[in-house]
Amino acid sequence: MRHGALAGLRHRSPVHGLDRRHLGPLEVLAQSVSSAAPAAAMAVAPVIAATTAGSGTVWSFVVAMAVALLIGSCIGRFTSRMAVAGSLYSLTARGLGPAAAFTSGVALLVGYGVLVMGALTGAALYVDALLGRVGLSLPGVPVAAAVVLGVLMTAGVLARVRLSARVVLLVETISISLMVVVFVVLLSVTPALPAAVPAAPSPGLGGIAAGVLPALSAFIGFEAATALGVEARRPFRTIPRVVMWTAGVAGVLYLFATFTQVAGFAGTSAGLAAVAEPVPALAVALGQPWLATVLDVGIAMSFAACALATLNALVRVVFSMARDGIAPAALGATHPRRHVPHVAIAVVVPVVVLVPVGLLAAGGPAPRVLADLLTISTVGYLVAYLLVCLAAPFFLRRIGELTAVPVVITAVLVPVLLVVLVAYVVSAWGGLIPAVVGILVLAGVAWLAWLRWKRPDRLAAIGVYDETVTADVLGAGS
Amino acid sequence: MTSLDPLPLSGRQPRAVRSALAVLEEVVAAGPGVTAKEISAALKLPQATTYRLLNLLVGEEYLVRLPDLRGFALGRRAARLALPVDLRPPAAARAVVEHLRGLVRWGVHLASYRTGQVTLVDRDQDHPPSDDVVLARPPPASALGLLLHADQPDWRAVTRDLRPLTELSVTDPSELDARIKVVAADDLARQCGQVRADRGCLAVPVRDPASGTLVAGLALCGPAHRVAEPNDELIRLLREHAERLVPLLA
Repeated sequence: MRHGALAGLRHRSPVHGLDRRHLGPLEVLAQSVSSAAPAAAMAVAPVIAATTAGSGTVWSFVVAMAVALLIGSCIGRFTSRMAVAGSLYSLTARGLGPAAAFTSGVALLVGYGVLVMGALTGAALYVDALLGRVGLSLPGVPVAAAVVLGVLMTAGVLARVRLSARVVLLVETISISLMVVVFVVLLSVTPALPAAVPAAPSPGLGGIAAGVLPALSAFIGFEAATALGVEARRPFRTIPRVVMWTAGVAGVLYLFATFTQVAGFAGTSAGLAAVAEPVPALAVALGQPWLATVLDVGIAMSFAACALATLNALVRVVFSMARDGIAPAALGATHPRRHVPHVAIAVVVPVVVLVPVGLLAAGGPAPRVLADLLTISTVGYLVAYLLVCLAAPFFLRRIGELTAVPVVITAVLVPVLLVVLVAYVVSAWGGLIPAVVGILVLAGVAWLAWLRWKRPDRLAAIGVYDETVTADVLGAGS
Repeated sequence: MTSLDPLPLSGRQPRAVRSALAVLEEVVAAGPGVTAKEISAALKLPQATTYRLLNLLVGEEYLVRLPDLRGFALGRRAARLALPVDLRPPAAARAVVEHLRGLVRWGVHLASYRTGQVTLVDRDQDHPPSDDVVLARPPPASALGLLLHADQPDWRAVTRDLRPLTELSVTDPSELDARIKVVAADDLARQCGQVRADRGCLAVPVRDPASGTLVAGLALCGPAHRVAEPNDELIRLLREHAERLVPLLA
C-alpha cells in the first residue's frame, strides 16, 4: 500500500464520452485488418516488391511479416497495460514524453489522413475500372465515385462505433473471400510450379532487402485497432492479440498471393516484375478473364473498408489531441447518443474527402495520385512505428516492469525501421513528394513551437488514456 | 463471457494457476498501489512470470492498474470471488457516530473489520480521512490498522513489509511489536504523525460481547500534537460511544 495510492483516481475517465467497453474481438479485428487493406495489397504489393526481389519476393514478404510482428509486439507492451483512443500517439507519450509523442501524433495525422485519401482514390479507381469492364466508360466516373464513397464513409463513421465496425467487418470479409477465390483459382490453373521451370537468376540478399520496403508498406494500418482501446470490451486482452493477428493474417495472405504470382509468371523470361497489372494479366493468360472483374470488386471493397476503418482511427487521434489540450477543445466533444467524436469528424471528413476529389477533378491520373498518396502516408506510418518501438522499453522501465526481451526487440527493430524509413524517403524522392513532406514537417514544427510558447503545461501532460477510475477499483468507491 | 479452453490442465499449468492466485492474494495483502516488482519479490516469482501473470489478471479485469500504471489494485470483477458482504452500519449506529461528531471538533470515522480488513463504513464528510485509512489493508501505522493488528494472534502474518509513510513511522518490527502490545493492553490505539505528519488518530475497538471478536473500530482524528496529549475527556467520550455501538454492530 502506498500513501495516497488511490488518491489519484478520478471519478470519470479523461476519454469519457466514447462508447466505452462495447466492441467484441471480431469487430476490433475487422478494424485492424481493413485498415491494412490486405485484399488490395495482395494484388498490388507483390509486383512492386518483385522489381527488386525477383524470385526472392516471397522472402521479402517473410522478412516484412517478421518486422510487422515485432512492431506488433512493441505496441502490445503498451496495449496490454493501457487502453487508448489516440493510437500510437497516446502510447508514445507514456514512453518518450511530449516532443516525441507530438511528432508521432503529427505523423499519424499524416499517415491516417493521407491513407484515407488514398483509399478513397483507390476505391474510386477500381469502381471506374469495374464500370469500364461492363462498358460504362465515362470521364467523370472516378470523381463521382470518390464523392459517393466519401458520403457513405461519412455515414459510416458517424454511426455508433459498433455498427460502423460491423459494416467494416462485412465488407472486409467479402473482399478477402473474393481475393482468396481469385488466387485459389489462379493457383489451381497454373500449369507448372516454380520447381519445375528453370530457376530465375537469384536476386541476392540486397534485392530481397530492397523488396522488404514495398512489402512492409503492405502491412501499414495493421495497428489501427489500437485506436479502439477505449471501446473494446476487454481491451488489455483484445487489442494486443488483434494487432498480432492482423500482422499474421495479412502476412499469410501476402505470402499466398506472392507465391501465386511468382509461380504464375515463373515460366516467362522476365518473371513477375515485368508485368504492370499481374493479376488481371495472369487471369487472361490462364484463360480465366472473369477473374479480373471479381478482382476489381474485391479491391474496391477493400479500399472502401480501409477508408472507413482508417477514418475511425484518425478521428480518435484528433479527439485525443483535443482532450490533451493541444488541439481546439471543441474537437474533443462526443455525441451524447452515438458516443462518437462528432465535431472531430465534422472537421476531418471534408479534408479527407475534398483532397482526393480535388486531385482527381484536377485531372491527375488516378493511379499516379493513388501511388503518391500511399507513399506520403507510408512515411507518416513509418515515423510513428519507429517512435512507438523506441518508446516500448522506456515505458516499461518507467513503470518498473522492464525485462530483457523488449530491449532486444527494440535494439533490433529501431535500426531496421530507421533504414527502411530513410530508404523509403530516398526512393520516393521526386515529383511533388519533397514539397508535400516539407510543408507537413514545417506545419508540425510551427504547431509544436506555438504549443511550447502558449500551452507548455498542456504539452507536457499529453497522452490521455482510459485511466482506471474509482468505479473500476474494488473498495475505492463508496 | 469468456469462453474457456476445454483442454485438461497439463504440464506446468497447475503451477501457473497457483502462481496467479498467489499474485491475486498478494495484491489483496499488500493493498492498492503495490507494484509488479514488489509482488515478484514477495512471492519469489521470476519477474517476467510475474509481469505476464499480472497482465493476464489485468486483461481479465480481476486486477486494475492505477493511473500511474505502476501500481495494482483489485478490480470490480474480483468482487465476484467473494460472497457479498453488506457492511453498511444500521441507521441507529450511524446516529451514534453522528452524535459523537456533534460533541467534538475532530473527524470521527467508523471502520468495520468484518472482512478481515479495515473498511471505512462511515467516514466523516467534514473531516475526510487521509487516504491510507481508506485503503483495504493499511499498515499498522494507522490507529484503525493498529487495532486490527493488536487483535491478531501474530500480527506478522498480516503485514509483511513496514514501509515508512512519514519520518515518524515505525519500521522496526520489535518496536512495532511493543507498540501493538500496548494497544492490546490499553484497548486504545494512538498514532501521531505516522500516517501524515500533521495528523493523528485515536481509535477504540467495538467487540462482540459474547465472543470478544473485533467487529468495528471508532476513530477520532485531529492535529498530531493534540492527539499526543492525554485527552482523557475525549477518550472517555470515544469509549462511551463505542460502548453504545456494541448492541448495534455486534
